[in-house]
Amino acid sequence: MMDLPGPRWKKGKDAKDFAAVAAAKPMSRIVAKLQASLKDSEAMAILSGDGGDAILAIGRKQAKLLNRAAFGRHIENAGEEERQWFQLRPEEVFFLCHALKCISVQSENKKQMDEAQLWDLFTSTSEPFPEMYKAYQHLRLKNWVVKSGLQYGADFVAYRHHPALVHSEFAVIIVPEGKEFGSRCGRLQVWSDLLCALRASGSVAKTLLVLTISTKGCDLASSDCLGQLIVHERAITRWIPQQCREQHDKPQREEANGDVQIQKPCSEDASKEEREETREGVAFSYWGVILSFTILSSLLVYKLKF
Amino acid sequence: MAATAAVTAGSRRRRNRAPAVGAGNDDAEEHHHNPFLETASSAPSRVQFRNVASRARWVEEAGATEVVESKGKLWLTTGVTRGGKLCYNIEEIGFLVERSALILLNDKDQTIGIENIYEKIAGGKYGCSWDTFQAYKHLKSLGYIVGRYGVPWTLKNSGTSDTNQSFNKVDGTCSDITKSLKEMHIDRLTPSFEVYLPNSMFKKSSPGAPNFLLCLLRNKPFSRVELEMLENNFGGIPLKYCHVDNNGRVSFLCFDEVALPSLP
Repeated sequence: MMDLPGPRWKKGKDAKDFAAVAAAKPMSRIVAKLQASLKDSEAMAILSGDGGDAILAIGRKQAKLLNRAAFGRHIENAGEEERQWFQLRPEEVFFLCHALKCISVQSENKKQMDEAQLWDLFTSTSEPFPEMYKAYQHLRLKNWVVKSGLQYGADFVAYRHHPALVHSEFAVIIVPEGKEFGSRCGRLQVWSDLLCALRASGSVAKTLLVLTISTKGCDLASSDCLGQLIVHERAITRWIPQQCREQHDKPQREEANGDVQIQKPCSEDASKEEREETREGVAFSYWGVILSFTILSSLLVYKLKF
Repeated sequence: MAATAAVTAGSRRRRNRAPAVGAGNDDAEEHHHNPFLETASSAPSRVQFRNVASRARWVEEAGATEVVESKGKLWLTTGVTRGGKLCYNIEEIGFLVERSALILLNDKDQTIGIENIYEKIAGGKYGCSWDTFQAYKHLKSLGYIVGRYGVPWTLKNSGTSDTNQSFNKVDGTCSDITKSLKEMHIDRLTPSFEVYLPNSMFKKSSPGAPNFLLCLLRNKPFSRVELEMLENNFGGIPLKYCHVDNNGRVSFLCFDEVALPSLP
């Protein structure tokens, strides 16, 4: 098993990172509070016309919880003070409805939608919905925050807590496996696709996480299939031979024993980026000092002479 | 003052610099040699050329060489010993000849030119393809110790080893080297090389376990099931994968199983 990279916490105005804030307010607790609150108020989401997203109107206290749990996108509305509007994507709607059972959903013409109808709607609007939702649910149930990954060339990005507190660690690509998924299994079937995804994720300092969704046979037409889908996690990382070699230039005394394996994990994208910047930065300011010292001393000599 | 100003200017310049594209990639910022400059006559050579060259004779039946005269230190981590003789396989020959560290001779003691060696590699008959050669060279140039998977570093006597039955007993030549890779099917994913980190104390007589095995990636990505099967066969020794693109550029990948933790 691979050692996962650690989280990169963002920093607040006091220059302290948000790790403590996240530790004090674990995501599981926020989600539990949100779930209770939405249930109590019988929150109802309304599907938007094109059948994909939904909008949800909730009170201020609930809005605070929804924001903290990082669901949906707030819709700015100058008119309303007490009610806050949010737009939810299909995976979020289904998660709140099916997994957390804390909202009900109405179609745009006021028809109450049950889970089966919602599943039908979402799968007909977007063929990959079964595997996308399974992956979304898998990560959310582990209390990772899951957001769209389109800006990063992936399906999702996964955060260890709220995106305002921490950088996302993973760019997630979902690959289904099995004849039930038809041609969708063809993802990442050529090396160029995989290398492109790897490069895209690497350029934004994220580890590429491939979630393979397999099944022993189930009917994707029903949400019952969710119990039959299995999620396999793999990280695809680039290995830099130059970097590893630098760490092991000295002769290995342990090698003489013959049976000890020395495999230090080579630090990946993010930390290498940081290290490179620091190295360059230090060198630059060093030369800056040398240069200005030279200028100053020459000026001094000039002044003294005349 | 001026000193601080220079430092601040430096910091500002540093911040404005574009973030390292493709951080973590070994070819992130491609360095293009400028052919329009008057001074530049040819691309700067990154290969270190040796002053003293070893000499070796090509043995066609073995698809390898027998070293006649060994010079320098490269042989300490290159080639295998068979019945007391040092043998190089085709990728090792290619690597050494490119660096002028080896002169290859035919049975008439005439020099075999590099183009001939490239032909042999490209032909793929001697257990190493052109792509595999690129991967080999890349790691060797960085100081890694690279041997063909399944080929022992030394065989003291001419007795048969259990890894293969085709060891040539007649004159102790190293014909087992080439046969090993021939048996591997192109499409089945098996390791091509066993790799050790750079180590000045490496001994062929007791190399120890390799740091990782390197698999060359074939036509299309493998499935999860194939990957799991492969990992089960080599439980313990890490696997790395190498992709060589059409331009001969080499990328190394790891496909590691992970378990995302459940967060609080």
